[in-house]
Amino acid sequence: MQWPQQVWMRLRTLFRRNRFTEQLSNEVRFHLDEQIAENITAGMSPEDARYAAMRLFGNSTWLKEEMRATWGWLWVEQVSQDLRYGVRVLLRNPLFSAVALGTLALGIGANTAMFSLLDQVVLRLLPVRHPEQLVIVRETGNHYGNSFGPNTISWPMFEDLRDNNRALSGMFCRFPATVTIGYGDRAAQISAELVSGSYFPILGVEATLGRTIVPDDDAVPDSQPVVVLSYSFWRTYFDGDRKIVGRTIALNSHAMTVIGVAQPGFDGVELGVPAKVFVPIMMKTEMTPHSDGLKDRRRRLSWVTAYGRLKPGVSLEPAQLSLQPLMHSILEMEVQQPEFTRSTTPADREPFLRNRVELLPGSENDLRESMRRPLWLLVALTGAVLLLACANLANLLLARATAREREFAVRLAIGAGRVRIVRQLLIESMLLSAAGAVVGLALAFLAGRVLLRIYLPADAAAEFVVSPIPDGRVLAFVVGAMLLTSLVFGLLPAVRGSRTEITVSLKDRSGALSAGGISLRRMLVGIQVALSLLLLVGASLFVRTLRNLESLGPGFPTDHLLTFRIDPSLNGYSDEQTKSFYQRLDINLQNMPGVTSVGFSAMPILKGYAWQNAVLGKDFEGAPIEEQPVLSEVGPGYFATLGIPIVAGRVFTAQDVGPAKYAVINESFARKYFPGRNPIGQRFGLVDDMEPVSPDIEVIGVIPDRKYRDLRETPPAQAYFPYLEGVHFRFMNIYLRTQVDPRQIENELRERMRQFDPHVPVDELQTMNEQIGFSLRTERLVASLSAVFGGLATLLAVIGLYGVMAYTVMRRTREIGIRMALGALHSNVIGMVMREVLLLIGAGLVVGFSLALALANLIRSQLYGLNARDPLTFIGSAIVLALAAGSAGFIPALRAGRVDPMRALRHE
Amino acid sequence: MGKPTDLVQGTLDLLILKTVSLEPKHGWAIAKRIQQISNEVLQVQQGSLYPALHRLEQKAWIKAKWAETETGRQAKFYSLTAAGRAQLEKEAATWSRLSGAINLVVEST
Repeated sequence: MQWPQQVWMRLRTLFRRNRFTEQLSNEVRFHLDEQIAENITAGMSPEDARYAAMRLFGNSTWLKEEMRATWGWLWVEQVSQDLRYGVRVLLRNPLFSAVALGTLALGIGANTAMFSLLDQVVLRLLPVRHPEQLVIVRETGNHYGNSFGPNTISWPMFEDLRDNNRALSGMFCRFPATVTIGYGDRAAQISAELVSGSYFPILGVEATLGRTIVPDDDAVPDSQPVVVLSYSFWRTYFDGDRKIVGRTIALNSHAMTVIGVAQPGFDGVELGVPAKVFVPIMMKTEMTPHSDGLKDRRRRLSWVTAYGRLKPGVSLEPAQLSLQPLMHSILEMEVQQPEFTRSTTPADREPFLRNRVELLPGSENDLRESMRRPLWLLVALTGAVLLLACANLANLLLARATAREREFAVRLAIGAGRVRIVRQLLIESMLLSAAGAVVGLALAFLAGRVLLRIYLPADAAAEFVVSPIPDGRVLAFVVGAMLLTSLVFGLLPAVRGSRTEITVSLKDRSGALSAGGISLRRMLVGIQVALSLLLLVGASLFVRTLRNLESLGPGFPTDHLLTFRIDPSLNGYSDEQTKSFYQRLDINLQNMPGVTSVGFSAMPILKGYAWQNAVLGKDFEGAPIEEQPVLSEVGPGYFATLGIPIVAGRVFTAQDVGPAKYAVINESFARKYFPGRNPIGQRFGLVDDMEPVSPDIEVIGVIPDRKYRDLRETPPAQAYFPYLEGVHFRFMNIYLRTQVDPRQIENELRERMRQFDPHVPVDELQTMNEQIGFSLRTERLVASLSAVFGGLATLLAVIGLYGVMAYTVMRRTREIGIRMALGALHSNVIGMVMREVLLLIGAGLVVGFSLALALANLIRSQLYGLNARDPLTFIGSAIVLALAAGSAGFIPALRAGRVDPMRALRHE
Repeated sequence: MGKPTDLVQGTLDLLILKTVSLEPKHGWAIAKRIQQISNEVLQVQQGSLYPALHRLEQKAWIKAKWAETETGRQAKFYSLTAAGRAQLEKEAATWSRLSGAINLVVEST
């Protein structure tokens, strides 16, 4: 077929329609004229000739329509007619259109904002070549040793896997670190990624400037003082200076040569924790002075995250399966090593040998893991609100369809098909939701920025580029939401509208209103009540969870507490210099005006971190990680600063320095390891995989149980050691109890620290309440959004119920008049209407209850301090909803009671 | 509007193609021509003729051009395209095969 020509001809008829129409008329007229001429020749009078010709020709308008239909553009013409008409109808009812558009914009906007947050934080893949092929290679089961997290393995294990596997096309590893950067006279702490030489080539990330790190950089430890900058860091910190390549910057006081700038948009493999610089992992000792793991090749220290690239066409499961024999042989070897036997008991051997390789999608990380459920929950919540808004709109449209019955009847009477009426109404719905989607998209863009800022640490949020042009996925979501909503709220009214009875509707009907799909509208109100109950129950569960977390707190007062972090060792200070630095700083800060006491701690509290180690004593020995106590090393003022009292014994003093070892333990520790004994004077030791140990640490004090890692936990067994005698003293978290509002002295503190030592930057300076607030951001977001949505839902349901009842009463005015004329009392009439109201609410509540009970399991993990089927919450929400909806229904009921029988009957 | 003989389904296209194959014609002339040649047996209804013409034009079997008639009026003249000629041959062959076959059946007994 000659389709290009055909398409061209069709398009020509479409775009030159006036000319086309004119030609059609000319063609028809020519034919008629020829017929007339022939008739005249045959002897008819001109008048008769014309009529005869026209009789013969038939309906010329119909013929022209047929001819146009041949060209296949009829539907375009009709749809554009419908569109124009739809716009006119919507503009004629500005109030209705504004309400509908606003509802939809809010609904679609909220959903889009939630979806794009979910997309950016949880769904997005890494911006690298074929991100779907990337996997994290990790070991499941107990590791028996020290671990930097569930996704890490030891450096020697990484080497074994990298060099011996046949399942992956390549492997690389990385380790996140915080380093101090010095350039010019500026010093700052930044996040760095230590990467193996295969990192950039396997990811397929190129250099914008210079070169990236390559496998040759992997050769010898300490030999590659080079650094690659992330694009955004290069732009912000170095102002995009192209001459930076080849220059030297100081990282942790080590001179490092900048060899390149990575491609734009790539901030390392941990989404949400953007890396500013990339350093060869061979420089581990220089970048993390606190611990090595690279050169000492300890297999009981897991610290690198290993990544692999699947071979093209190979999926995750078979690759994972084919790695198991290799992993098993590595474990067989490890179990023979003295490191392993020292840190375990013989009973641990068997479970350890059952450890397996697990492959995770490469874009996974802890942040995503923790946010996946709450974010999906919020998406579901906003989806429910949109559904509710749709129900409300459907109700409005049904009411309007009733009002427009005459219009439809007229259209049907002059020959419109019912399909055409349905299409007209659907097009109107679609116009509404399209307009709603456009406004919603703008709202979502604004909301998206705010949400990201709430959700991510400040510097990470800044790295997330929320583009004003939504990406394909979000756009597809919006278009899908738009089409779906317009179908959901538009289809029912449209189908109903098309069923208009012509004869009934065209007759004059003063007073009597048709049933107007009243049962349909009742059903919609029932659904609204049910969904509202669901949202209200959810909202009160989440709000109470937040309140529980906040009011229970960590067990010590958090007001007037300021905290920051320092790491003098990153400035190249020796251990002796660092200790002296702390001692001087302790005294300096204690003398600061407004500060009552100062506490040092190697481990930050309530930030999700924990240092755990197996302990051994006279009658207990090593244990797997979930049973190990949580440890820290603290300064003399620590407990007093946090406001933790002493139950027995004493705390450390500045005089508690070697060779004797002391510990302060909490009550749980005492109960667990020294049951039924006075813990003071008892001894225990820390299991070490490098050498055998004896229980040589003496307990000198006991503190009550307080939370340590986060607010949700039950306080674990804890033990504290003097900070200057420990192994983790190189970086410190410092806590200041202040007399005044701690925020007032933040700037003063920064200045004081700069004067104290300008080379040691202050990091993460914030009040304890700010820190806790940030750690509860998910709970707060869920609680506040669900509260807003719950309120909104109730409002919508109440409006819907009022609308339906008002309409019912209006329609039954005459019936009510008759009843009252026959002796019914006001109270009878009010009771009659209220029975219907309560029936509606009751049905909605029953459905809502069963839904809420069924869905309770899904949110169990998000709650704290109450049951997901908490009866008080359920009943409370139901009462609130019933009261609100009941009073909305009472207004039309009262109106029904005030009907004047004389007027109602005379009205017809 | 009497219909002397209903056209066999699908044969109108063949008749039109055949009629315009000799020289360009306008709709009126095509109808007249079919009527004359068939000795007034075949009467083409305007209601079918014009939609058929447009359908054939859209299939690019015939092409249309506005030109003057001998009486000096503007009319739309249809003429056969190369594709149309091929189609005509195909349909004519199909037709003669079909009508021959029908003849055989009808005249056998």
